[in-house]
Amino acid sequence: MGYDGAPSPASAAARDAKKKRGNRSSAKLKQCKLDARREQWLSQVKDGKEATAKPLPAGAGSGAGSNAGSPILASPHPPLPRRRADARSRGGVLEDDKEDAGATGQEVGGSDLDSPMHSPCSDNSRGGGCAQSKRCSSNGGGPSLSSVSSLWSSSRSVSDAEDDDTGSGPEEENGVLDDWEAVADALSVDDNSHCRQSLGTTMPPAATSESAPLANTSKRTEPIRSNARAWTPDDTFRPQSLPSISKQSSFPARIGNCWGMGMSAAHQSILSMPLSCPICYEDLDPTDSSFLPCPCGFHLCLFCHKRILEADARCPGCRKLYNAGSAGEGAPAPVRLSRSCSMGPRH
Amino acid sequence: MVDVSRVQKELTECNRDSDISGVSIALHDGGSSITHLTGTIAGPRDSPYEGGTFRIDIRLPGGYPFEPPKMQFITKVWHPNISSQNGAICLDILKDQWSPALTLKTALLSLQALLSAPAPDDPQDAVVAQQYLRDKATFVSTARYWTEAFAKSDSTGMEEKVQKLVEMGFPEDMVRSTLLSVNGDENMALEKLCSG
Repeated sequence: MGYDGAPSPASAAARDAKKKRGNRSSAKLKQCKLDARREQWLSQVKDGKEATAKPLPAGAGSGAGSNAGSPILASPHPPLPRRRADARSRGGVLEDDKEDAGATGQEVGGSDLDSPMHSPCSDNSRGGGCAQSKRCSSNGGGPSLSSVSSLWSSSRSVSDAEDDDTGSGPEEENGVLDDWEAVADALSVDDNSHCRQSLGTTMPPAATSESAPLANTSKRTEPIRSNARAWTPDDTFRPQSLPSISKQSSFPARIGNCWGMGMSAAHQSILSMPLSCPICYEDLDPTDSSFLPCPCGFHLCLFCHKRILEADARCPGCRKLYNAGSAGEGAPAPVRLSRSCSMGPRH
Repeated sequence: MVDVSRVQKELTECNRDSDISGVSIALHDGGSSITHLTGTIAGPRDSPYEGGTFRIDIRLPGGYPFEPPKMQFITKVWHPNISSQNGAICLDILKDQWSPALTLKTALLSLQALLSAPAPDDPQDAVVAQQYLRDKATFVSTARYWTEAFAKSDSTGMEEKVQKLVEMGFPEDMVRSTLLSVNGDENMALEKLCSG
């Protein structure tokens, strides 16, 4: 209760900014950033128990404060009420007292549904969305964590959106998320003020302390809206503990396409060579073009493959028998080359 | 059931560059059945078949393209791997080595290649194969003669001779078969026809 307790204009301003931020961030949360960053911050909370013990309740307090203030504060931001209403209509009835908190959690589900289609930064391609998720998660977590979470969050966003909406309870996510947000915010304020104090000023002047959260707010929220990033490497408030990972734009595409969201449709058609089945001359759908039953790489559609399996079961391309183990079952285990793994739930 | 759409696409595809490839396919005798086709291949250069146009009867089995098309030379050919009697072809891709990835065009191109590269070790016509192995020169001249006689329909070949003999009063089908049996030699055919 350190900052809430202190009746300084600085903390009031900080809380005010926090209210705003809580509102805005609820609209701007992308599904992709959640996991890695949350885990990162939660672990940091555990590590720095001393440092975060005080800010945590402060964040909770500010969260409670923003509950009351949210409808008013939300009004200056036209997109927010609309999106929230959208989320609410998807999520069903939402009580007023936990509206703001619920909106944050709901927004997770809502953005899951929305982001592939509606979010401005992922409208061009799913590859972009994946890169974006990679970008933010690379800031948030270690290499293994980030790759996992980017996969998880992206695949969830495109394939399990409906399940997700109902499956994971909003409240459940909500509590953790709110805390995490608060902690993140409080931490940066804390750090900042500590810096100030160590520099010699006994009490943080209103101006500096005011500017810190505001700057923080703008830094945090605006980029999140535009490209869903959390910390840039040159961010002033970037925690030192965050690993610096260079952007690997090709990485999510390679890994991601196994899950079907790594490539845009255009990308697919370039990489997967034949557009029609060489046997029946029908167009290959994405499932077919990712279907490589023979190591020779001969593409054909599933229908023709089945037909061949019923006959002599030899690959039309190399005349070798299809893999004996799988061909015997009639259910071949396709050899998947990474470049043509393009099965997408979009289609 | 023959895959009609595939066959139609194959015909379009094949006839698009028939000037270059030298192979073309059409419905048999302008008929309406897509399962009975006639292919034509140009005799390959630097072979005894150069300058000839060889017609091939193509019948598509119900399992096409998963079963090979049945092909047979309509035009008489003197070739170790093609029957001089009925035009039957000995070519692995038309039998056990067929692949659904092959097409009528590729099959015809394979036949074209077969004309320029006989395989006498695996003969269809033993007499021709023996001649090819033992007396290459005679084989080449015979093959060239057959090409002249049967594969150049619009030259002063078969049709003119048939016309002449028919005008002498012989039935056309008998004239044709007799002419074929004597390798297109008009005088020998006349002699044979007269002797009965």
